[in-house]
Amino acid sequence: MFDLKKYRKKSPWILHYNAGSCNGCDIEILASLSPKYDLERFGVINTGNPKQSDIFLVTGPVTYRSRERLIELYTQMPEPKVVVAVGSCTCTGGVFRDMYNVEDGIDRYIPVDVYIAGCAVSPELIIDGVVKALDILEKKSKEMEKPLKLFKEAISENGVVNRRNVALKVGEVHEEN
Amino acid sequence: MIEILLIVFAPFIGGIIYGFERVVRARMQNRQGPPLLQPFYDMFKLIDKQAFIVNPYHTILGIMHFITLWVVVAFIIMGQNLLYVIFLHLLSSIFLILAGFSVKSIYSHIGSNRELLAALAYEPILIMMAVGFFMVNGSFDIAVIREHGASIASLFLLFLAYLMVIPIKLKKSPFDATEAHQEIVGGVEIEFSGIFFEFLYMAKWLEYIFAYLLLMLFAGDNILLGIGLFIGVFLLVNLVDNATARIKMKHLIKIVLSLGLTLGICNLIGLAYV
Repeated sequence: MFDLKKYRKKSPWILHYNAGSCNGCDIEILASLSPKYDLERFGVINTGNPKQSDIFLVTGPVTYRSRERLIELYTQMPEPKVVVAVGSCTCTGGVFRDMYNVEDGIDRYIPVDVYIAGCAVSPELIIDGVVKALDILEKKSKEMEKPLKLFKEAISENGVVNRRNVALKVGEVHEEN
Repeated sequence: MIEILLIVFAPFIGGIIYGFERVVRARMQNRQGPPLLQPFYDMFKLIDKQAFIVNPYHTILGIMHFITLWVVVAFIIMGQNLLYVIFLHLLSSIFLILAGFSVKSIYSHIGSNRELLAALAYEPILIMMAVGFFMVNGSFDIAVIREHGASIASLFLLFLAYLMVIPIKLKKSPFDATEAHQEIVGGVEIEFSGIFFEFLYMAKWLEYIFAYLLLMLFAGDNILLGIGLFIGVFLLVNLVDNATARIKMKHLIKIVLSLGLTLGICNLIGLAYV
């Protein structure tokens, strides 16, 4: 029986999400898919659909408005999956660190596998990061790596469900989950 | 014996055509492009992935879509009735449309709506094509059509109309509003994942076989002309796909129905009176 795991490496489909980025890194991601750098030669497709993708490319420091969507997209992706943080903002918060409307980096909310630093990241670095992510993807199992509870209960006011602020930080997760 | 082999391996031949097409499109854009066997790598990866089931009917209808399309291709290869083939193909589209409507996703509903509208636009052309073949060859049987000579000269206007159907079936620009990759994220296929998306992916390969086998009927018993038609139309469709932008659904229906119906009716009237 041949091993299906080695084919994960050959067809990574990418989901790209902008969590409040300045668009610099997004343009570089698109540049790495364009004829000059041609990420498609590794079999990469930029699907816009979380249910069919393997690699989650996130750009931008996580703003308050984008937290719920970020976690929603992460939970909708089927295992095995890897998360790649593209750009300084996404890794640490970058120049936006400690601002009132910004969470410092996506690893406060979801587990990250590869960090790519740079402002903005160059396409060569993105390709290196994606190839590194493929090595990690090959070793992953189908189980979710950490059984974190990612959401709080949604608040219901007068019959209207309010899903604002339901995203949980990593530090806020209770041990019993 | 050859027919059975062709039927069994039809999805894989379609996969190779799809992989080759991705290479050709990449070369047209001055890129290197993915390897030839990329669709099969995608297939093995999708089999290995975790699958989410939204509701049972959704997944079963997706698999039914694939199986019906395979039966359609088998009917064409065995030389059955052309009308059966066209209506059975419509049934397979209906399965996909029902699958799209069975989930709550809005994108899926928009995709199903567009799929229905596209079927409204291209189905009359396919039926007129069958009528044209009947008027030229005296039979709806594909086996009989294949024994007669090439009918592309007498059915040239219908051939032009069919050239507009191929991009709709294969989801190519400018007529790819039904799938609309980044705009409505794939339309009907949005809620499929893992091995269940694989069936839809393979159904896409079978659509290639279906579209190009119908195209080769225009060549009749002239196999060289059939292969020539296949290569020429394959390159033309990909060139147009690379060179044009997506048009709106409204314009798709207007263009395909007005131009295609006019061309088809002119051809049929010409066949009846000339």
